Amino acid sequence: MRIFRIIYRVVVESLIGLKQSGWSNWFVISILATALILFGFIMQVTLTLKTLVNSWGSQLEISVYLKDSCKPYPEAQKIGAMKGVEQVLVIPKEEAWQKMRKSFSVAYVDNPLPNTLHIKLKSPTYVEQLAPIIKAMQEVENVRYPLKVARIINQIRRFVEIGGLFVMLAMSAATLIVIGNTIQLVIQSKQREIEILSLMGVSHFYIKGPFILQGILYGTSSALIASGLIAIVNLNCEKYVKLQLAYLAPSLTNNLEFGLTPIYLMLFGLGIAVGATGGAITSGRFIKL
Amino acid sequence: MILFQNVNKDYNGRPALSNLNLHIGKGEFAFLVGPSGAGKSTMMRLLYREELPNSGQIFMGGVNLNKLPTYQVPRLRRRLGIIFQDYKLLPKQTVFNNVAYVLRALGVDEKNVEKRVISALSVVNIESKKNAYPTELSGGEQQRVGIARAIVNGPPVLLADEPTGNLDPATSLEIVQLLAEISQRGTTVLIATHDEPIVNALRKRVIALHAGQIVADVDSGVYELKGNS
Repeated sequence: MRIFRIIYRVVVESLIGLKQSGWSNWFVISILATALILFGFIMQVTLTLKTLVNSWGSQLEISVYLKDSCKPYPEAQKIGAMKGVEQVLVIPKEEAWQKMRKSFSVAYVDNPLPNTLHIKLKSPTYVEQLAPIIKAMQEVENVRYPLKVARIINQIRRFVEIGGLFVMLAMSAATLIVIGNTIQLVIQSKQREIEILSLMGVSHFYIKGPFILQGILYGTSSALIASGLIAIVNLNCEKYVKLQLAYLAPSLTNNLEFGLTPIYLMLFGLGIAVGATGGAITSGRFIKL
Repeated sequence: MILFQNVNKDYNGRPALSNLNLHIGKGEFAFLVGPSGAGKSTMMRLLYREELPNSGQIFMGGVNLNKLPTYQVPRLRRRLGIIFQDYKLLPKQTVFNNVAYVLRALGVDEKNVEKRVISALSVVNIESKKNAYPTELSGGEQQRVGIARAIVNGPPVLLADEPTGNLDPATSLEIVQLLAEISQRGTTVLIATHDEPIVNALRKRVIALHAGQIVADVDSGVYELKGNS
């Protein structure tokens, strides 16, 4: 029971600290909330791009044109056994020729098309790995693959990930400074209480706890605001974004679904972590026990 | 209860205490006298582990303060009552809440808080002012509140650093007599002071410090800075 009474008093002291901070609270919360909102949107863009990239990636194919002397099915089996290959679709030259004649009303000439294999890969990273190997095979006439697209997709993904991480770190550092300054003012105004508590043998947890809790409350409030705003924006913009994507790339929209729960969890986690760290660093620096 | 063994303390090479040896028994009442800069406050700070000596050992109730880990310092201080010259009261809290403040922080339940605070206030005869604010009290009354706060947790040792420094002679005598009464209940009391009249009036043990060294240690003594023991 004693520990619960102490925890209760820590909470009370923390609320007193918040009351003492007055308008500074809103300053801290608005800065942290802005940082979290930006972080949330960056997270969302990153997740969308990742999903988009994976979606493109899964569509990445290597088209293999075989020599006339070669039978397509044994080759398909050989290639299908390679690491990273998800599926090999065989398009015999006769079938391709018939389709072409149907579509383009081609005149009766000898079939000029080669036997073709469409290789679907498990991940875009296999494109550059497998294409040269397949091209080097004796039975292969030529190989075509969207190498440039794969490279750009990977570059975009890396850029967004690194950029997101950098922005998150910069904003966390800025927020830590603001939280530190606000809590430092509360510590200064409570200097006498802290001195008395320390000299009378009150535990370090009780003395420093309210300031760490104050930081946590800042983080929680900011995360709540950021999550609410992101939810509202999503609710209103989701249909519009999907419509635009459906126009630009109809095959991709079905794969773009992801829940917002991980983003909300990350916002609360980051908000609480930044708030608690700010409180802990400041109380450690300015309270000498 | 309190033991100093060959204690040395200096600040940036300037000695504050030199080879200090002292023993104060359980329930004893002693004055620590000396001019400003003699080392009285340094001794107090060493006793409540605000500072550590450069060499030598300090024991409090058998506990070696040099070897006490930082996380156990609050536990040591709960066994001490500290009284300050400037009272260190919270101006926005009533007398009752000033005394109750630390008990609540230590997790004492409200029923016990009330019982113990009223008891401490009655020991220092200020129970009638429990709802007053420090600014409404005289200096002597404020110091009584400070003493009530120091004894509310029932510590075996009371340390008072110039407790009469801001008081008139009559009130000073009242405060020191009050501390002597508390000592009679079994509490060890050590008062650092340079208030000659109160030391001479009580005729208790007097430990005289000069330039960081004990120059006199007399039972039933008077304020005397020359070595005579």
